[in-house]
Amino acid sequence: MAVSLSKGGNVSLSKEAPGLTAVNVGLGWDARVTDGAAFDLDASVFVLGENDKVLNDQAFVFYNNKKSACGNVEHQGDNRSGEGSGDDELVSVSLASLGAEARKLVFAVTIHEAAARNQSFGQVNKAYIRVMNKAGGTELARFDLSEDASTETAMIFGELYRHGEEWKFKAIGQGFAGGLAPLAANFGVNLA
Amino acid sequence: MLELIQGQRLPLSSITTSSSVEVTFDIQGSLALDLACFGLDAQGELSDDRYMVFFNQPESPCQSVRLVSPTTFGLSLAEVPPSIDKLVFTAAIDGQGTLRQLGASRFRIGDAGLSRAACTFAGETFAQERAIMLVEFYRKDGVWRLNAVLQGFNEGLDALVCHFGGAVAEDAAAPAPAVGHVSLEKKVAAAAPQLVSLAKKAQVSLEKARLTDVHARVGLILDGSGSMHNQYKRGRVQEVVNRLLPLAVHFDNDGQLDCWAFGDLPQQLGSVNLQNFHDFIDTDHGGWRKWELGSRINTEYRVIEQAIEFYRRSRSSTPVYILFVSDGGIYDSRRIIKLISEAAKLPIFWQFVGLAGSNYGILEKLDDMSNREVDNCNFFALDDLHDLDEETLYDRLMEEFPGWLRAAKAKGIVA
Repeated sequence: MAVSLSKGGNVSLSKEAPGLTAVNVGLGWDARVTDGAAFDLDASVFVLGENDKVLNDQAFVFYNNKKSACGNVEHQGDNRSGEGSGDDELVSVSLASLGAEARKLVFAVTIHEAAARNQSFGQVNKAYIRVMNKAGGTELARFDLSEDASTETAMIFGELYRHGEEWKFKAIGQGFAGGLAPLAANFGVNLA
Repeated sequence: MLELIQGQRLPLSSITTSSSVEVTFDIQGSLALDLACFGLDAQGELSDDRYMVFFNQPESPCQSVRLVSPTTFGLSLAEVPPSIDKLVFTAAIDGQGTLRQLGASRFRIGDAGLSRAACTFAGETFAQERAIMLVEFYRKDGVWRLNAVLQGFNEGLDALVCHFGGAVAEDAAAPAPAVGHVSLEKKVAAAAPQLVSLAKKAQVSLEKARLTDVHARVGLILDGSGSMHNQYKRGRVQEVVNRLLPLAVHFDNDGQLDCWAFGDLPQQLGSVNLQNFHDFIDTDHGGWRKWELGSRINTEYRVIEQAIEFYRRSRSSTPVYILFVSDGGIYDSRRIIKLISEAAKLPIFWQFVGLAGSNYGILEKLDDMSNREVDNCNFFALDDLHDLDEETLYDRLMEEFPGWLRAAKAKGIVA
């Protein structure tokens, strides 16, 4: 039984699934049903060290960099495999193989060309993030995003982090003004 | 006054603490716009037409939504029934043009004559849209929230009505048979994947019976008498619900199955849909053990009367398919004969199914009664629901319904 989190809540994945070695993180939202420019949402992952900055520039995993340097975080792009069906984007994380320097993985979603298209998260329905055990696909945690950051165009959905020997997942649901570039800069990514 | 922007969501309590709210539209420009408020159910559908409030129907039931002037709606949110989950305010162009031509406009939300929040919008907010959702009030976690939607449809009011689950009269003519096929499977797959294989089997039977284009309401009447106890306990009655639901989803725009149970007394239960079906028998109205059916004996005629009254009151000539499940032990055959004979002039078809019983008495004979407008019922018996495979069950359920439809149409009973 997956733990359904509310904003700010957290759960120990290691306790939910003893022996957990890898997870799939699925992110989803309802497609636009009205006429107008489609919602083009992109998921990104920031692999952070102790100082809350990315370990290196390849630790910013997104549509132009689908794999971290260590290979343990992989953006599957559009979920066409059918695995974890229903997710719009899927990221695989090999928790057991991640170096000890990786303390936290932040999952964010940004709206592509939000300003030009006059779009914000308030227009997106049923956004969620969920964490599944890669072995077997069991859903371990889920967060249906609250609607408070409605005027934002970038949003941190949730984070995976180390807590002692455990991996935990926290529901964030925090908006971030400005989109992907300022978000990446905030986490110490050197943007070209 | 709070300024809202497109897409913004917020709790209504951050605007006003009053539950009497006014929503005013200041529309500028030369477009002729028709304003309306749609009261939708939890599925986002207009399941009750009386909750479409506009110039032709300026008040909802119990006056919770009122058009108080051509551009102002009054809401009594505390009076809005729980079945209404969302109030969507819309504007549609009457005549030519697109919303690109809209002048600098705004909507305001306030109470006691004072505006508390406003949202401005104009032509540049839109492109080719001809009908839009302006703002919606919706329930979430027990409170009313607000969303400044400002999105819409190029196809105008028809698309908007379709979006709310309604059928537009002109479009109902002759859809391609294949459309029904895709939509049944898709609808079921999206909401209740565990029913997909049933939906496929139902589809085959519907195609064989040439019923893919038919619209109908579907009702289910369940014997709740003591002798049925085992059928409920073993989950057989729930299985009947599961098997019938794909038919209801196929025939019916709102995908609802109207449901009654009876012992000595009848009780109308909630409607079954793809969201609530899976434990309906165990949970609706406190679960089958708590249904208020009086003595757990058979008094069929009362529930038949109640169902007839329910469909008669809807004043619709849409055909109704009622599945009546009983294990027999029929009481007061004469009243049943009279009711069913008289009901032959109504657009209702009765499919009686005897389940795991004997002594079906009059139910078996109703099928062959004379002196009726049309033959409006059929009967077959099963010792166990599992005696028939699902394909055969659907075939049997659809055996006489097409013949009745043709006869009822010929007599003008069905539209």
